[in-house]
Amino acid sequence: MSTFRISSGMMYQQSVSTMLAKQAQIARTQQQLATGQRLVSAKDDPVAAGTAVQLDRTLAELAQFKLNSSTVENRLGLQENALASVGQAMARINELTVQANNGALGDDSRHAIATELRAIHDGLLDLANTSDGTGRYLFGGTADGSPPFSVGGGGVVYAGNQVQRRVEVAPDMFVSDTLPGSEVFLRLRTGDGRMDAHAGGGNQGTGLLMDFGVTDTTAWNGAGYRIEFTAADAYTVYDAGNNPVAGGTYTAGDSIAFAGVQVKIAGAPALGDTFEIGPSSTRDIFSTLDGLITALESDPVSDAGKAAMRNTLQSAMRDIATAQNRMIDARASGGAQLSAIEDAANLLEANTVTLSGTVSGLRDLDWAEAIGRYQMENTALQAAQTVFMQMQSLSLFKLMG
Amino acid sequence: MSNVLANGTSALLAFQRAMSTVSHNVANVGTEGYSRQRVELEARAGSNYGYGYQGGGVQIVDVRRMADSLATSRLLDAGSELSRLQQLSTLSDRVDSLFSDKATGISAPWSGFFDAVSSLSSNAASTADRQNVLAQAKALASRFNQVDAQLDRLGDEVNSGLKASVAEVNRLTKEIAQLNAAIGSNVSRASGDLLDRRDRLIGELVGYTGGTAVQQDGGHINVFTAGGQPLVVGAAASQLATVSDPFQPERLQVALQTSSNSVTLSDATLGGKMGGLLEFRSTVLDPALAELGRVAVSLAQTFNEGHAAGMDQYGQMGAAFFSIDGPRVTAHPSNGDAVLEPAVGSLAALKGQSVLLRFDGSQWLASDPITGAALTVSGDGTTGNPLVVNGVELLLASGTPQANDRFLLQPTAGAAGTLKVAITDPSRIAAASPLVAAADVANTGSGIVAGLSVLDPADPGLHTATDIVFIDAGQYTVGGAGPFAYTPGQTISHNGWSLTLDGAPQAGDLFQVRAGAAGSSDNGNATRLANLDDARVLDGGTMTLNGAIGGLTTTVGSAARQAEYSAQAQQVIHDQALAARDSIAGVNLDEEAADLIRLQQAYQAASQIISTADNMFQSLLRAVAR
Repeated sequence: MSTFRISSGMMYQQSVSTMLAKQAQIARTQQQLATGQRLVSAKDDPVAAGTAVQLDRTLAELAQFKLNSSTVENRLGLQENALASVGQAMARINELTVQANNGALGDDSRHAIATELRAIHDGLLDLANTSDGTGRYLFGGTADGSPPFSVGGGGVVYAGNQVQRRVEVAPDMFVSDTLPGSEVFLRLRTGDGRMDAHAGGGNQGTGLLMDFGVTDTTAWNGAGYRIEFTAADAYTVYDAGNNPVAGGTYTAGDSIAFAGVQVKIAGAPALGDTFEIGPSSTRDIFSTLDGLITALESDPVSDAGKAAMRNTLQSAMRDIATAQNRMIDARASGGAQLSAIEDAANLLEANTVTLSGTVSGLRDLDWAEAIGRYQMENTALQAAQTVFMQMQSLSLFKLMG
Repeated sequence: MSNVLANGTSALLAFQRAMSTVSHNVANVGTEGYSRQRVELEARAGSNYGYGYQGGGVQIVDVRRMADSLATSRLLDAGSELSRLQQLSTLSDRVDSLFSDKATGISAPWSGFFDAVSSLSSNAASTADRQNVLAQAKALASRFNQVDAQLDRLGDEVNSGLKASVAEVNRLTKEIAQLNAAIGSNVSRASGDLLDRRDRLIGELVGYTGGTAVQQDGGHINVFTAGGQPLVVGAAASQLATVSDPFQPERLQVALQTSSNSVTLSDATLGGKMGGLLEFRSTVLDPALAELGRVAVSLAQTFNEGHAAGMDQYGQMGAAFFSIDGPRVTAHPSNGDAVLEPAVGSLAALKGQSVLLRFDGSQWLASDPITGAALTVSGDGTTGNPLVVNGVELLLASGTPQANDRFLLQPTAGAAGTLKVAITDPSRIAAASPLVAAADVANTGSGIVAGLSVLDPADPGLHTATDIVFIDAGQYTVGGAGPFAYTPGQTISHNGWSLTLDGAPQAGDLFQVRAGAAGSSDNGNATRLANLDDARVLDGGTMTLNGAIGGLTTTVGSAARQAEYSAQAQQVIHDQALAARDSIAGVNLDEEAADLIRLQQAYQAASQIISTADNMFQSLLRAVAR
């Protein structure tokens, strides 16, 4: 074969398939332009498509974490509001207790204070039963389907539990949900948190329990002791087994020190009066208030009775101070969670921006490139069409005749 | 004078025929497979008049068919391969877009479901969130069902494609056999158009089946499949038929029917469109079905395990959340009475690919049903020592295996179609941890429960109320047992749970572990469930479920891309083969026009010769008449 022959059918076929191929390219570019995506289906870039699927999932997860955070944030916000009100109530209680501690106050004034305290007690109970707006109670732990605090058995009963939910707000970053009521309103340490002291119930003198505290932590063994006055100016300290461990002469306002603790007693205790010293126990805010109200309404007439009331008021003031601190701690811990949520939100935002960029790079269309390509493909198709028309018009048969 | 007349007449006749051939060529310029024809002229040998030889005009010796058997056979090969690759590419594209399109793919509802669970973990008691988890779970399950059904439908398309192809092949083989008979044993005497027709039919046949066409000495063309089975031999045509796969009746195979029996043609012995259909089924469709099923089985099993470790709103341990069918074992119809019962053994080892199990009389052997490659199988099928292959455990449930018993194990294929959400009551979602721990309010120490986790949800004592009592800061009893030494921060484990304490417990401090109550808003288990999509449970603990979803997209996309690239490359090869054939056999109109002009002129010249002869004759007559 000397020269390569070309058949008419082949010329036609080649031109047509060139045009078809160009049209297919244009259709593909059009689809890309219409969807804004470089990857129309996974076969365009299988690895990028597979990666994009996983990144999409991660992005959706991040968006969900954001929604989760706002749910927790909402509840922590409600807790913050409730605790702020509780804090105000505590401040008022403190004020009233200080007022009531004034010896010059008459019975009527104390009754008025007691009435206000009773109202605050009920208000606190309502705050402790704050709902989250969806029928669940903020301070019930995870048993929050019914009001966690109720009056019964001579005091307030807690029906919630101590579980504090932890919610994931960013990958592997958890924040604690609202505090269980037991950690806010119950489990308040009495005394100074380590030891507690109170006057004996049947004291006949006017001995007042003033400050006390642990002075030597190594010597303090946390056991119970009793200071018993053997005379108006002499005392003996007994341990739990009724063995005398110390004793001495009493001078009003002086500290009595033994077993690593120091107790200051003022006034004039009578023979046989006792003061109990022991490890700090726990008491809930409601029973502290109940004790306070009972004391204020006791209307003491004797000096001994007045001293007992003042002793009760003193210990109530200590307990209320502890409770106030607890509220501050609780608000601080809620605030810490809120700030953790904010940190998480920043992290989510940063990760979302980065990942979106990556996904976009994998899948999204480069518009400038695509539009340029579209125009070029259009021109190429037009050229192919023109060439076809011209070639078809070239025929020897046309010139014959 | 008569010589002149005879020569002129022979030329007239010859050029008329030649022009008729040109017109035949022009007429068939658009006929597919037509080979142009050319008239071969030859000078008629003259007679010796003593002074020398006087020529006797022109005669046609042959109407030659311009065809090259080499170019034709190259085109045949290229065409059958192109049909195979185009078929493969078209169907692979369908699977690809099924998985790629957000509206039909798994990834969108997959993400939606895990997002709903994550949302539940932030609001575990919310009925709305619980409803949403169920709704999303149903959407996900039905998407798995839909994709599985779509893939099944593609399997049906392969079946109907095979059926239609078999009908065409049977028609073509018959026609080719008839043409072989008509053409007979001497090609040179056969009509070119008949030969063209035979070549075209062979091209169509090979486009369906692949294979080779061999010219016999005589002139018959025999057609064989790539595996060497005869489709047409001389005037005899074979018949193909579709038969059911012995293991899967819903799946058709192609068999060659001879007088005595039928031989199943394996995937490798068929090319062309049928080869493309079979290859698509075994290399794209089956793996996609199996992998989809593997993801569905892994989701169901992982999620159910996690769900069983939690407690629902009724205070009960979580029931199965998803239901899904287990692996499928099909016995060969010729087997004895042995019945194998399969179950997923280890997710980490689970593979989707089918396994052919064969009992050789003493032991079980496993192999890949497509490639025949041996696979590792352990155990003997008895309780306590099940057969284990590709993460599936099989027990010999009944019967005795006979030598050469065969079973097809499909670990996960089709499982995605059976995925269902097993619970309907939103309160049955086990979002809560099953245990609640508390420090007694009267405790004097600062210890609080920091972390309580369930190690074994199946422990019979899990729900037993247990007290941890500190005898002093360094010793504790748990559930009455002990005392045990306590170092701050250590883990205390009992009855399938473990916990740690923060702070310092004091003598007499009490910690209580109790079964969770109904209606709890605890989110411990929901948080765990929400993270299961990132748990590395597959491929020996290296692959997450999210990764498997992404991997599925990549696998399917790669298959489609590869098929498309191959088809495009083959298109080029085919175009070249076609050009090579056409350069010999194709009609060029300009060439024919030129020929026509040349022949027309020659014809006119021949006419003039006859006219001259006539003049000569008239002159002679006139001379005689005078």
